[in-house]
Amino acid sequence: MSEHPEDSHTLSRYEATGGYIQARKALELGRDRLVEMVKSSDLLGRGGAAFSAGLKWSFLAPARPAYLVVNADESEPGTFKDRQLLERDPHQLVEGIIIAAIANEVHNAFVYVRGEYAKPARRLQRAVEEAYAAGYLGSGILGSDYDLDLVVHLGGGAYICGEETALINSLEGQRGEPRLKPPYFPAAIGLYGKPTIVNNVETLSNLPHLLEMGSESFHNLAHQADTGTFLFSISGHVRKPGNYELPHGPTWRELIYEVAGGMRDGSELKCWIPGGASAPWFVPADHLDLAVTKEETARAGSMLGSGAVIVMDGSTCVVRAAERVVRFFAHESCGQCTPCREGTTWLEMILRRIEGGQGRMVDFDLLLDVSDNISVGLAWPPKMTTICPLGPSAVSPVISITKYFKDEVIGHIEGGGCPLGSDQHAGSAA
Amino acid sequence: MSDLLRVTIDGRDVEAPKGTLIIKAAQDNGTYIPRFCWHPRMEPVGMCRMCLIEVVTPRGRQLITACTNPVADGMEVDTKSETVKKAQEGVLEFLLINHPLDCPVCDRGGECPLQDHTMAHGPGESRFVEVKRHFEKPIRISSLVALDRERCILCARCTRFSEEVSGDPLIEFMDRGNYTQINTFPDHPFNSYFSGNTVQICPVGALTASPYRFRARPWDLTAVESTCSHCTAGDRITIQASQGEVLRVLGVDADATNRGWLSDKCRFGFEFIGSDQRLRAPLIRDAGGELREATWSDALAHAAARLDEIKAVRGGGGLAVLGGGRGTNEDAYALSKFARVALGTHNVDCRTGDDLDPGFLAATVDRAEINDLDRAATILVWGPDLKEEHPTLYLRVRHAAQVGVKLVVVHPRRTGLDDVAIHKLTYRPGAGGELLAAIQDGDHPGVSEALAAGSVVALIGKPGETEDPRLPEAVATFLRGSHQAKLLPLARRSNIYGALDMGLAPSLLPGRVSVGGRGADEVEAAWGAMPSARGHDFDEIIHGLSEGDIAGLVIVGCDPVADGPDGSTAARALESAFVVAIDLFLTDSSRLADVILPATGFAEKEGTVTNLEGRVQKVNAVVAGPGQARPDWAILDELASTMEVDLGLGSAEGISKEISVVAPAYEGVTWELLDWERRDGVVVPLIGQAPLEYVPAASASKSVAGEMVLHSARTMYDDGVEMRMSRSLHQLAPGGKAHLHPDDARRLGVGPESLVEVAGSAATAVLPVVVDESLMRGVVYVPSHQPGVPSLGRDPVVTVTRTS
Amino acid sequence: MTFWSEETMSRAQEIVARYPRKRSAVMPLLYMAMAEQGHLSDEGMAEVASLTGLTAAQVRSVASFYTMYKPAPLGTYLVSCCTSISCMLLGADQVLEAIEEEAGVPHGETTDDGLITVEHVECIGACGGAPAVQVNYELIEGVEPAKARGLVQWLRSARPTVVNTDEMQGLFGGKTSFDWAIKEEVGARGPFPAFSPYGLEARE
Ligand SMILES: Cc1cc2nc3c(=O)[nH]c(=O)nc-3n(C[C@H](O)[C@H](O)[C@H](O)COP(=O)(O)O)c2cc1C
Ligand code: SF4
Ligand code: FES
Repeated sequence: MSEHPEDSHTLSRYEATGGYIQARKALELGRDRLVEMVKSSDLLGRGGAAFSAGLKWSFLAPARPAYLVVNADESEPGTFKDRQLLERDPHQLVEGIIIAAIANEVHNAFVYVRGEYAKPARRLQRAVEEAYAAGYLGSGILGSDYDLDLVVHLGGGAYICGEETALINSLEGQRGEPRLKPPYFPAAIGLYGKPTIVNNVETLSNLPHLLEMGSESFHNLAHQADTGTFLFSISGHVRKPGNYELPHGPTWRELIYEVAGGMRDGSELKCWIPGGASAPWFVPADHLDLAVTKEETARAGSMLGSGAVIVMDGSTCVVRAAERVVRFFAHESCGQCTPCREGTTWLEMILRRIEGGQGRMVDFDLLLDVSDNISVGLAWPPKMTTICPLGPSAVSPVISITKYFKDEVIGHIEGGGCPLGSDQHAGSAA
Repeated sequence: MSDLLRVTIDGRDVEAPKGTLIIKAAQDNGTYIPRFCWHPRMEPVGMCRMCLIEVVTPRGRQLITACTNPVADGMEVDTKSETVKKAQEGVLEFLLINHPLDCPVCDRGGECPLQDHTMAHGPGESRFVEVKRHFEKPIRISSLVALDRERCILCARCTRFSEEVSGDPLIEFMDRGNYTQINTFPDHPFNSYFSGNTVQICPVGALTASPYRFRARPWDLTAVESTCSHCTAGDRITIQASQGEVLRVLGVDADATNRGWLSDKCRFGFEFIGSDQRLRAPLIRDAGGELREATWSDALAHAAARLDEIKAVRGGGGLAVLGGGRGTNEDAYALSKFARVALGTHNVDCRTGDDLDPGFLAATVDRAEINDLDRAATILVWGPDLKEEHPTLYLRVRHAAQVGVKLVVVHPRRTGLDDVAIHKLTYRPGAGGELLAAIQDGDHPGVSEALAAGSVVALIGKPGETEDPRLPEAVATFLRGSHQAKLLPLARRSNIYGALDMGLAPSLLPGRVSVGGRGADEVEAAWGAMPSARGHDFDEIIHGLSEGDIAGLVIVGCDPVADGPDGSTAARALESAFVVAIDLFLTDSSRLADVILPATGFAEKEGTVTNLEGRVQKVNAVVAGPGQARPDWAILDELASTMEVDLGLGSAEGISKEISVVAPAYEGVTWELLDWERRDGVVVPLIGQAPLEYVPAASASKSVAGEMVLHSARTMYDDGVEMRMSRSLHQLAPGGKAHLHPDDARRLGVGPESLVEVAGSAATAVLPVVVDESLMRGVVYVPSHQPGVPSLGRDPVVTVTRTS
Repeated sequence: MTFWSEETMSRAQEIVARYPRKRSAVMPLLYMAMAEQGHLSDEGMAEVASLTGLTAAQVRSVASFYTMYKPAPLGTYLVSCCTSISCMLLGADQVLEAIEEEAGVPHGETTDDGLITVEHVECIGACGGAPAVQVNYELIEGVEPAKARGLVQWLRSARPTVVNTDEMQGLFGGKTSFDWAIKEEVGARGPFPAFSPYGLEARE
C-alpha cells in the first residue's frame, strides 16, 4: 500500500491493479482455510493490542448470526494511519472486509468511523456504493450465494469508542462505555450479544496482500524485524512527519534521523513517545539505539501500540507536554469507573498547577501516588484498578517526566513556573 | 450437590455453588468485601472498583473486582493483602475528593457506607486541594424524590434499577468522564411507581425521599419487621418510627416475595396512620342525627342493645357483617365468630362486590408460589394490569420474563408488562369468553405454543370491574384441564385470602371449610350451633338492607359507598338500617353509621396475614393507636360480651392458637414459628388440610352487545381512603379520564381534553378525553375510584356522548 | 407531533431499517436532528426517542456522552482547533489564540452574529500535518496563526453556504499528513459531518 496512484481510491483503478481477485479467492477457500492461513501468516492486530488476527478469528463462538465490526475510530493522539487508508485505499479495506466476513461467516459488517473523519468516511462510503453496484457487496456477492451487507457508521466524538467493547456499545446506540472482560469478550458476546469480530482498518487492509502473497511470504515480510508491514505515524518536531512502512526494522536513531528526516532546523532531540499517547516515553540517552521492535520496546518498558511516534525537541516543556497528554485521557474518560474518572482529572489539575507555577513540593509524590492508585505499582504493562486501559494510559506521561525530567519538574515548582521561559510554547510552527 | 466449588478466602477453605460471585461467596462465609455499586438483586457492573481484591493465579497475583468475577474451583482469594488495602483506600479517596462531606445535614448520615468506610480506613485530611466538582444542590426529580448530584458516587444503582428491574428508564447517566451526573430529561420527571427503591438502594445520600427528608436521624428510629398491607403479595417490610410516629418503610429482601423491592404505595402509603383525621374515640349518633363523642361503655351498650333488638325480632337473618378483608387473620376470625355466634348469621362478606367467588379464591389447591414464576416455562397474565394493582408481583413477573420465561399477557388495553411479553392479546370487556374459546380452538397459535412449552403459571383475576367474574374461573378450568397450570388467583384488599380462610363469606367457615361441608362439624363443635339460614353475599346484603329485610349491619374497615360498584344505592342502604362501624376514619360509609368505634390499624397491632400464595406471615406493631382506638378483635369480643355472648377471645396470640385448632388449614401455624424460624412465612396448609372443594365455572357469559363497552380498573394511586389520607400519594392519582380509541374519538368528534359524558349502569360522569390507541374500537377506559368520580357500575354496556 | 420534514422522516425510517436493532440508529438520527435545527434541541432528542423506542432520558444520556452533539445553539461555522500533543508541539496554542482573537470569542462560545463558534478539541488525526483546524469537520492541515486569522475573516466575508476541505486547505492550509491527491467538491452545510447517508452532504 506504499505507492499511491492519483486515483487509487476509484474502483476502476483498484480493479486494474488486481482488486477484488482475493475476495473471490476467499469465497473458494472458506472459513477454515482462511482462518488457518491468517493464523500462520501471523498478521497482528494494528489497533494497538497487536493480537494475532487469525487467533482471534479462531475464537469466534459458534452461535450465529455473527458480526464483523471494523474499528475506524482512530483517535489516539499521534495516530493518523487509518485516515490515510480510508481516504486513499478504501477499496483495499472493502476487499479486506469481504475476506474477513467470509472467514467468519458474517453477513452484516459495520465500519465505525470516528465522527470527525468526514472526508475519510465519504471516501469509504463512495467505495462501498461502488462495491455494491459492482456486486462485491449485497446479496449474492461475486455471483455466489453469499450475502454481505456493509454499513458505514459515524461515531459521535469519543476516543473511548475505539476500545472494542465501548465501540460495540456505541454501535448498539448506547453510551460508549467499555464492557467488563470477562464476560464480554466480543468473539463470544459482542454486538447484540452475538459473536463479533472487531478488527482495525489497517489489519483488514492487509488481507488482500496476505492472500495475494500467501501466508508464508507475508509471514516473512512481517517478520523482518516483526514490523515489516506495520504503519508508523510520525509527528512532532521532525522534518518529515507522515506515515511510514519500515520493512527493515531500523533503530530509533534511524527512524528519527533518516526516515523522518531528522529534527526540525537541527534542534536537539529531547524525548519521544514510541507508540501513541498511552505509551511511556523514551529518551536519547537510554533508547536511541534500541531496535524498533515489539519485544525490545516492551523490554524497555514501553510499547509500539498503534505505531504513533511523537518526537519532541529541546524547546519542549515536558510538564506542559505531559499535561496535554493527561488532559486528553481525562477528557476522554468515559467516567464509569472511579479511579479513571477522578484520578485522571486530579492528575491533570496537579500538572496544570505545577506548569502554572503553583506547584508544591508534595505534589511530586502526590502525582506518583495518585498514579499508583490507578495503575498499581506503576508497573508495565499496567496492573489496572480500572475497567479498561484508558485510565492507566494517563499515568504513562507522569511516570515518564518524573523519571527522566525530575529536575525540570522540580524546577517548575521551585521557580514558580517554566524554567524554559514563561512564554515558551514549544516553539510555534512559524 | 456436585457443583459446589472449593475456594480459599484469606486462607480459610469455603464452599460456594458454581457461578457465585466472589463478593457473595466471601459474604456468605463471614468476609465482608467493601462495595458500593454491587447489589445482590441486580447485574454487576464493576464500576465503583471498591471491591478490588487479589486472586492468586498461575500468572501470579491478579487484582480483580470481587463483584464481577465468579469463584472458580481451587481459587485462592486474598482480601487483606497490602495491595488490596492500598487499592481500596485509593478508590475511597477518589470517591471522596469531590464529595461534599456534608454528613451532619445528610439524611444518610449514620447509615452511609461511604461514611462508615471513611471512618474505618479513609484518608485523614484531604490531599485534594483543587476546586471540587459543583452541581446545583438538591433538585426535585419527582414529587417524591430529590437528587443531590454532589453527593452521588455514580454507582449506577438507581439507573440500573429503573432500567433492569422496574422497566421505566427515566433517570440516566448524563455527560461523561469527570462531568458524569445522574439526571432526568428536562420536564420528564422520574415518575415511576417504584422510585422509592432507588432511594433505599442509593449507597449515599444522593437520592432522598421528599416525604422523609430531614424528618429523623437513623439513630433515633425504632424499627420492626412486618408485612405490607397494600396488596395481596405479602411483601416484607421494616417499619421505622420515632416518638410514636411512623416515619419510614423499607423493603426487606425476602426471597419468597418482594426481594427487597416495594412500590411507592407500599413505601410512602403509611402517612394515613398519623393522619389527624383518625378516629380517637367512639361516636354515637344522637336523636338529632349528630355524631357525638361517647365513652366505650356507652357506645358498646348502645350498639349491643340495638343489635339484640333486631336479632330478637328478625333472628340472625336480619343482621349482616361486611368487611374484615384489610385486618389481620385474628381480627377476621373474631369477626367471623362474632357474626356466627353473637349475631347468629351467615350474612358475612369481606368483599365489596368486585371480586371473584370466595370458593374459587379459597379452594384453589393447585396454587402456585411466587417463586414458581422464575421456574415456569410460560407465565400467563389474564387479569388486572399488575403494574397498577399488584406492583411487586409485576416486578417478579418482569424479572421472570427477563431471565427467559415466556410471558403471555391478555388485557383490554396496554399494560406495564407488554414490552417484555412475547404475546399480548387485547380484547373488549365482555368478549373474554369468546377470546378464551378462540384460544382453545387454536386461533392464536403463538399463545397455544407458549402454553404448551412446559410448566405454566397463570395469574388470573378480573381485568376490570365490568368483567364477568366467571371468566377467570373459565380460564382456570381451561388451563387446569389442558396444561396442568399452577394458579395465582388475583383479588383486591390486602388480607382477603386470610379473611376468606377465616370464613368471612356466606358460604365459608374458618380453615377452608364450607358451610355444611366437610370439617363444618368440627367448627360447630368449637363454636356451638351454626345459624340455619343460608347467608347472603355483598350484593344481596346491600339489596336486603334497601328492601328492609336486613335491619342491622356491622361494617369493619369496609366502605361500600366509595368502594362498591354502586355508591348511591349502598348509601341509601346504609341510611335505612342500624349500622355499627369499626374503622380508622369517617369514610363515606362509616359517617352514615349510628355507632362508630375507633380501631387500630397498620403498624399499630400484632397478628398474622395470609397472601395470595396462602403464605401466612406476621405483622407487628411499632406505634400505639391514636386515643382510645383498639384492635378489631378486642372491640368485637367486648361488643359480644355486652350482648352477653362470650367469644373467649383473650388476646391476638390466643386467637391465633384457637385458629390453629379450629381452622384445619392453619394447623401448626404459630407465632413462635413465624417470629423465629420462618420469618418469611409458611404456606398453608402446612401440616393440616384444606377440605374445601369448589367447581369453577367452565365458561363465561356470552359476549355483550352495545356500541361502547366500559373498561374500568384501579390505578396505583386513587381515592381509596388510605390514599386519601396519605398526602404524598393522593395528589398522584391520575383523576377522572375517558380513554377512547382514535377512531371512536374521531367518530364522536372529540380530541384530547375535550369532555364526554359516560353513562353507566350505576352512575354518569363527565370526563376529559384521552386518545388511547392501545384500546380496541368501541371500548372506553375509565380509571376507577378517582377523586370526585363515582363508580359507573359493573355493566359493561355504556353510552358515551360528547358534551357541548 | 413531529416537526421534521417528510424527507427527513422517511430518510430516518430508512436508517432505522438498516440496523438489526432500532436503537443502533440513535447516533445517525442525532446528527439528522442537529441538521434540522442547527443544534440538538430537546424536541430533537424526543423525536429520536420516539423513532428508536427509547425514553427521552435514554437519548439524552447517549447524546451527552459524545462531543459532537451540541445541545446549545451554535454558529453556522464550528471552528475546531486541535490542541492535543502533536499540534501543541507545533504551535496549536497560538493558532487557537489567533482564532479566538479574530473571532472575538473564547473557546466554547459563539459570535453575536451567530456565525462562528470557536472550540479547541482533542486530536483529530492530523498530527502529521499539525497544527490542524476543522470547520464543520472539514479539515485544514498545516495551519499557522496568520492563516488561521485569514480563515476566520474569510468565513465572515465569503459566508460559504458549503465548506469543503480541499478548498480551505488550498486557501489556508500548509503541510499535510500525507498526499491528499484526490479533490472533492462536496462539503458541509452546517456544524455536523457532511455524510451522504444521513443526508448531510452538500454541494456548492
Ligand atoms: C482506550 C482504548 C482505545 C482504543 N482505540 C482504538 C482505536 O482508535 N482504533 C483501533 O483500531 N483500536 C483501538 N483500540 C484497540 C481495540 O480495543 C481493539 O483491540 C482493536 O480494534 C482490535 O482490532 P485489531 O486486533 O485488528 O487491532 C483501543 C483500545 C483501548 C483500550
Ligand atoms: S478506565 Fe476510564 S475509560 Fe475505561 S472504563 Fe474506566 S472510566 Fe471508562
Ligand atoms: S462493588 Fe465491585 S466494583 Fe463496585
